[in-house]
Amino acid sequence: MIDEARLKILVESAKFDVSCSSSGSGRRNEGGVGNGYASGCCHSFTPDGRCISLLKMLLSNDCIFACKYCMNRCDADMPRASATPDEVCSLVMDFYKRNYIEGLFLSSAVHVSPDYTMEQLYLTVKKLRTEYNFHGYIHVKGIPHADAEIVRKTALYADRMSYNIELPSERSLKLLAPQKSRESLLLPMARLQRERLEFKEEKRKGYFLPAGQTTQMIVGASPEKDGAILRLSQGLYRKNGLKRVYYSAYVPVVHDSLLPELPGGALREHRLYQADWLLRFYGFDAEELLPEDGNLSLEFDPKCAWALAHMELFPVEVNRAPLEVLLRVPGIGARSAQRILDARRFTKLTFEHLKKMRVVLKRARHFITASGKFYGANERAVRGLLAAEESKSNAVQMSLFPNETALSALTGEL
Amino acid sequence: MIYFYDGTKEAFLTALLLSYDDPLPVLTSGNCQLALGQRTVFVRADAEKAQKAERRLLSIDKDCMRDLDLLLRSGDADKDTVALGYFRMIAKRQRPVREMLGEDDVLSAENHIRRVTFEIHRMKGFLRFMECASGALYAPIVPDNDICDLLVPHFRSRLPMYFFVIHDVKRKKAAVYDGEHTFFAPLGEAEVVLSADEAAWQRLWKEYYASVNIPSRERLKQMRGYMPVRYWKFMPEKH
Ligand code: SF4
Ligand code: SF4
Repeated sequence: MIDEARLKILVESAKFDVSCSSSGSGRRNEGGVGNGYASGCCHSFTPDGRCISLLKMLLSNDCIFACKYCMNRCDADMPRASATPDEVCSLVMDFYKRNYIEGLFLSSAVHVSPDYTMEQLYLTVKKLRTEYNFHGYIHVKGIPHADAEIVRKTALYADRMSYNIELPSERSLKLLAPQKSRESLLLPMARLQRERLEFKEEKRKGYFLPAGQTTQMIVGASPEKDGAILRLSQGLYRKNGLKRVYYSAYVPVVHDSLLPELPGGALREHRLYQADWLLRFYGFDAEELLPEDGNLSLEFDPKCAWALAHMELFPVEVNRAPLEVLLRVPGIGARSAQRILDARRFTKLTFEHLKKMRVVLKRARHFITASGKFYGANERAVRGLLAAEESKSNAVQMSLFPNETALSALTGEL
Repeated sequence: MIYFYDGTKEAFLTALLLSYDDPLPVLTSGNCQLALGQRTVFVRADAEKAQKAERRLLSIDKDCMRDLDLLLRSGDADKDTVALGYFRMIAKRQRPVREMLGEDDVLSAENHIRRVTFEIHRMKGFLRFMECASGALYAPIVPDNDICDLLVPHFRSRLPMYFFVIHDVKRKKAAVYDGEHTFFAPLGEAEVVLSADEAAWQRLWKEYYASVNIPSRERLKQMRGYMPVRYWKFMPEKH
């Protein structure tokens, strides 16, 4: 059993990685312990409002790299620790069977060398699958510059892998993470994606990253604008087949003259997640939302901002508007839109109906009519009303993390 | 009129037939404040009638018995009357009504069902097993709704080799899986002898919970929203 002191070090160094999702894998139990639960499952929530789904830890925090923003950089004065593959495996098994966790998110600092580190990660997940017979969820971090063959073998045992892009441009990467390069992050991603497709096509036995790949970007440590960031994300979704891009508002944990001293802005992070949601589920293009060198409005959520710029398209009649149009109404989310489609097959919907169906009308009422009736304010007043609404809701419930329940609860009805 | 019944499916279906022409029936299986002069009926299950009603309903909507099962598990006091309203509507309209969200009866039923299924989903995450000296796993729970048996398939498929017990402490019943079969039994108090390592694993879990938190970003309200306090009772990390 691993001791509490080392567990603490290895977890504290891993906790800023925001990915927590355990969804998207249908891995089956094959006579051992565990399976994948396709919709994901939260096992606990910490006082910072984030969910716990996976046991998130590093195999080692003893790094030879020196990324300026990271508290594990080699020249930082930090307590160092490593865990053995067996220690990690038994921790996973005992936590899993008590239903503390859905699986493992294993990452590592670059310990000794990239190849050595990747090898250790590989050995751990292989052991967990083959010796400990674990079929629950496993997410493994890819190590930049590590040998492609070890990475490929790891993918045969993991449900998901991620290379973190870290910074949105090569220039910033050079400046702040000098040992990483854009190629060392993007190439392995592209390779894994290719191998994953081949694996599928050839209908081979077993699994190869059934839950795909994700990545993470630190926002606010470098000067890139939201417009550039979202175009990058859009490309990753559409060209590289990524499942998820996470954004992490920069938290200054170390001091360096190259880094801003102020935190990167939780509200900005929140807006990026909202816009990301629009790209993936609401049929928006990054180009519609903002110019390359622009930032998202902090005042309005991105859908609201878009609608306000296109007032000539509104109001739309809820009894007639097609799904794509309903989805563009501020305040009407995917679930509400679907419910409206269902219900209007049977009756002509009025505002009363919408209210009872728990469609949130605070924002939507300015953009729709129901059976010809309009309850919104006139165009000039709308901006002010919406802005007041926004600042109120941001104050009470800003979601800082890409916790999926949080996102669907808070921004699901964007 | 107020109809009392025992909460079972058969008695419910019998009550549905019996009250069909009553314009404003109230159905209950629990305690109910009686207003002065209110008339009451005690409904006894009639297996034959119930079966006939079930067949008729299934021919109209093949999924409706699943709805009924979930509705009757609800912990809400008005669940019986809500279920009655929903099934009267199916009978009157002679078609599935699930998507008629403009109707109050459908909306309330949908609401109750959603709360039950949501709690099942939550419990799959929040339930905590303890390891007993025998190697068996034991999880006490206090759900709002009567769902303990519905949790078994989920855990059986991921822990097929374990003997486990899920104990609804409030309703005094348990679902037991013995590595092969599942059965249900009334269970008041369970005597549990924990394994030698159990306390140490719980301590490690608590250490994990404390370490993964980011104290400078405290958002207690959000935490309580996702994980309401009533579920904390058997979670080691909350003690
Ligand atoms: S919020 Fe989502 S990602 Fe996080 S634990 Fe819950 S289901 Fe998983
Ligand atoms: S590689 Fe960079 S980001 Fe990763 S642990 Fe080392 S210093 Fe930190």
